[in-house]
Amino acid sequence: MNQPARVLRMSYLVASLAGVGFFVLSVAWLGVWPARRLAEDAKRTGPGHVVALTPSEARGRVIYAREGCAYCHTQQVRFTQADIARFGAPTLAWETRADTPHMMGTRRIGPDLARAGGTRSEDWHLTHLYAPRSVVPASVMPPYRHLFAGGSDAPRQEARDLVAYLETLGRARELAGDEGEARAATVSHTHMEGLTPSPVLNPHPARPRRTGEVPALPANGDRARGEWLYARNCAACHGSTLEGNGPGAGGLTPRPTNLAEHTYTDGRLAQALWNGVSGTAMPAWRDLPLADLGALVEYVRDPRITSQLRHDRTRPAQGELAFGQRVYEANCAQCHGAQGAGDGWAARALAVAPTNFRVQRLWGTAAMRILQTGIEGTMMASWRSRLSGEEMQAVAEYIVQLYRDEQDLRAREGRR
Amino acid sequence: MGTVPVAPRQTGRAPVETSLVYAHGLAALVTLLLSVTFGIIISIQLWAPDLGAGVPALGWGRLRYAHTQGIMLGWLANAFFAFLYHAVPRLTGRPVTSPGLGRWLFGLWNVAVMGAGWVLVLSGVSQPLEWAEFPPVVDVLVVAGIVLALIQFVPPFFSRGLESLYVSSWYIIGALVFTALAYPMGNIAPELVPGPAGAAFSGLWIHDAVGLFVTPLALAILYFVIPVVTGKPIYSHFLSMLGFWLLFFLYPLNGTHHYVMSVIPMDTQLAAITASALLGLTVILVVANLLLSLHGAGVFPADPGLRFVVMSVIFYLVVSIQGSLQAFMAVNAFVHFTDWVIGHSHLAMLGFASFAAAGALAHAWPHIPGARYNARLVSLAYWLLCAGLLIMVVDLTVAGLMQAQLWQSGAPWTSSLEAARPYWIVRTLSSIPIAAGFIALLAGLLTGPVTRPPAAEMRAAA
Repeated sequence: MNQPARVLRMSYLVASLAGVGFFVLSVAWLGVWPARRLAEDAKRTGPGHVVALTPSEARGRVIYAREGCAYCHTQQVRFTQADIARFGAPTLAWETRADTPHMMGTRRIGPDLARAGGTRSEDWHLTHLYAPRSVVPASVMPPYRHLFAGGSDAPRQEARDLVAYLETLGRARELAGDEGEARAATVSHTHMEGLTPSPVLNPHPARPRRTGEVPALPANGDRARGEWLYARNCAACHGSTLEGNGPGAGGLTPRPTNLAEHTYTDGRLAQALWNGVSGTAMPAWRDLPLADLGALVEYVRDPRITSQLRHDRTRPAQGELAFGQRVYEANCAQCHGAQGAGDGWAARALAVAPTNFRVQRLWGTAAMRILQTGIEGTMMASWRSRLSGEEMQAVAEYIVQLYRDEQDLRAREGRR
Repeated sequence: MGTVPVAPRQTGRAPVETSLVYAHGLAALVTLLLSVTFGIIISIQLWAPDLGAGVPALGWGRLRYAHTQGIMLGWLANAFFAFLYHAVPRLTGRPVTSPGLGRWLFGLWNVAVMGAGWVLVLSGVSQPLEWAEFPPVVDVLVVAGIVLALIQFVPPFFSRGLESLYVSSWYIIGALVFTALAYPMGNIAPELVPGPAGAAFSGLWIHDAVGLFVTPLALAILYFVIPVVTGKPIYSHFLSMLGFWLLFFLYPLNGTHHYVMSVIPMDTQLAAITASALLGLTVILVVANLLLSLHGAGVFPADPGLRFVVMSVIFYLVVSIQGSLQAFMAVNAFVHFTDWVIGHSHLAMLGFASFAAAGALAHAWPHIPGARYNARLVSLAYWLLCAGLLIMVVDLTVAGLMQAQLWQSGAPWTSSLEAARPYWIVRTLSSIPIAAGFIALLAGLLTGPVTRPPAAEMRAAA
């Protein structure tokens, strides 16, 4: 048997050592070295101090990890145009520098959650975790009922912790403010080239905004499409009959609006759809095409579907108006504004904006009912103990006639 | 040819621990069927998401952890151990270190790692790291198991001197040594290194799990079974060694391609993408050597073990080219995060790796005295698995392209869910032939006539 040359034997030994060297090289090149670079980046671009998770938020993170949330929801906005348009500014090194272990994720069945904080209300989250399809009919998220004691209104501490954690996602970057964005602009990540910086840090299409420019929606939207869209996107909360009693409504405070007992101007509906309703579970719908939003407006205000439900709409008796106005000015104007435009001096301090009666009309019995019971989850209290029955009746009749959409009203009169 | 080894040595038979081949083979198939069951449940949950609601252990996330860990550490590792007990004495002419050690390894791996690991992740004790979901306490046991495997299988090789090792031997030594290094790196480092730096280590491990553990052992099987069944030496010893060293150089450098377009430094990403492209070229070289080694045995050889192995070679080529392709930035920006990648990973683990593992079991089984072996059922398993895998991968690939297109278009997120639903239903249906195939494989190893190994082996075993 020929023995191979000694040099050949040595070559195998060298190769074996080199093999271990390959592994060490890979860890150094793709592990240790980028870790140092990332630490430098984080130091250079991040704020000196990042708010740590509270014990509740930290427990929520453990729940998020153990249930595998990160396997359907990434926590990284990539440096790509599609990601930036949908989820906001790309995730920088410092934003997740305290995440142990990281949950960047490699698969998206649900949307990215890197900037999920502030896009939904707490009760929406609880309802969604308990019964996802009650608020998002097309969702394929598993229900996490074991975090609740029998209903979305009975969250265990674990559910509260998880929601607390969700609210932290993107928080550090938001808190860094303009100063943080100025530093972020100095990041010279090669793949930033050619990317248009997003005008806002978190353009999440569902993120509610108190105010904001609303683009003009196409007039005369496609009502049939509106009905189809309503069933898929709105009915879960607002109910198939628009009475605010969908399967997801029960857990939400304030409850979803009973659309059937209101008349809205098109502008008011567009505002609610485009900006959402801050302080409530109503998200914004900026991810729907404008034509679809126009179709929804057409459907929601179309009298054909609501004629039965609005049976109690009555014009108020004119004689009471002066009395109603006096009661209104004494009790309601500080929030709802002297002209009923929802712009009283106290309005800005309220989490949920007071109703602007000039763009939405509450029909008779509904206004009376709300005066008696108030609206849970808002600063609208019950007036039963402070106003007499006559006073409430008078103010109800007063606010109904504040509605000003003369053009719209004339058009409807003409149609009839 | 001198001492250059161009085929597994067939002389100087050493005793083979056939009872451990048998035990690991059955453990592999039992853990496989459980892992497949987990996979089927989560595939149904994508279109019937209320399935298992209210039962924490049946939550999608926990079952997914159990699914992939079960496939890698239950099915593939057990099948690889079965193959090693069959092959190492034949490659080295010496017995494995100790049958007693083998029983400890078997118990540790299947009770302490798989049993405890599954119970823990299903009851909510886990880490959210891909291919590393078993909690750190189980990781310690896995590393202990790998060390036992090193002690069990590596010493026999050194009795012969490194220079005369056949390529399968190199892959076996490499796989065990590198897994012992990479496993703690990938399972522990991200628990210690926070944020995207931790993700860099995760990326390394996601690829090392496949590249340094699964792939080398699967290639050891392919290089072993082909020459033994055809009775002819491999095409080129030189190419086999060139491929070996290139693979072990390039695989560890691929990891970061799982985080392309992320915040991880661009140079790191580009290095990984370059390595991915070179890896694809290397695989072409390796596969060419393997296919030429068939010496005209055909794509569908009569021997069931070899038939699995040949299809594994073909899947290896396809999945590697696909992998190189999807590492490129333009492709990655589009298909990443979609079901395309899920199709890719199934082509790798269920196609390439599982076909190699099934080939190893089908090849080794008739050599176990007293075992039953039903070639017809094994052959049926092959066709069922081919059909199921083909449907699944094509379905998920198309679904991924569709999801990518919808995400790019700015459509509401839920449209990508609604559009995916029919594809997800088809994917669940594809699991029917796959599950049936694996059941047929198990039945093929439990029924049929009692095997009669060649007389020489019987003497050696006695």
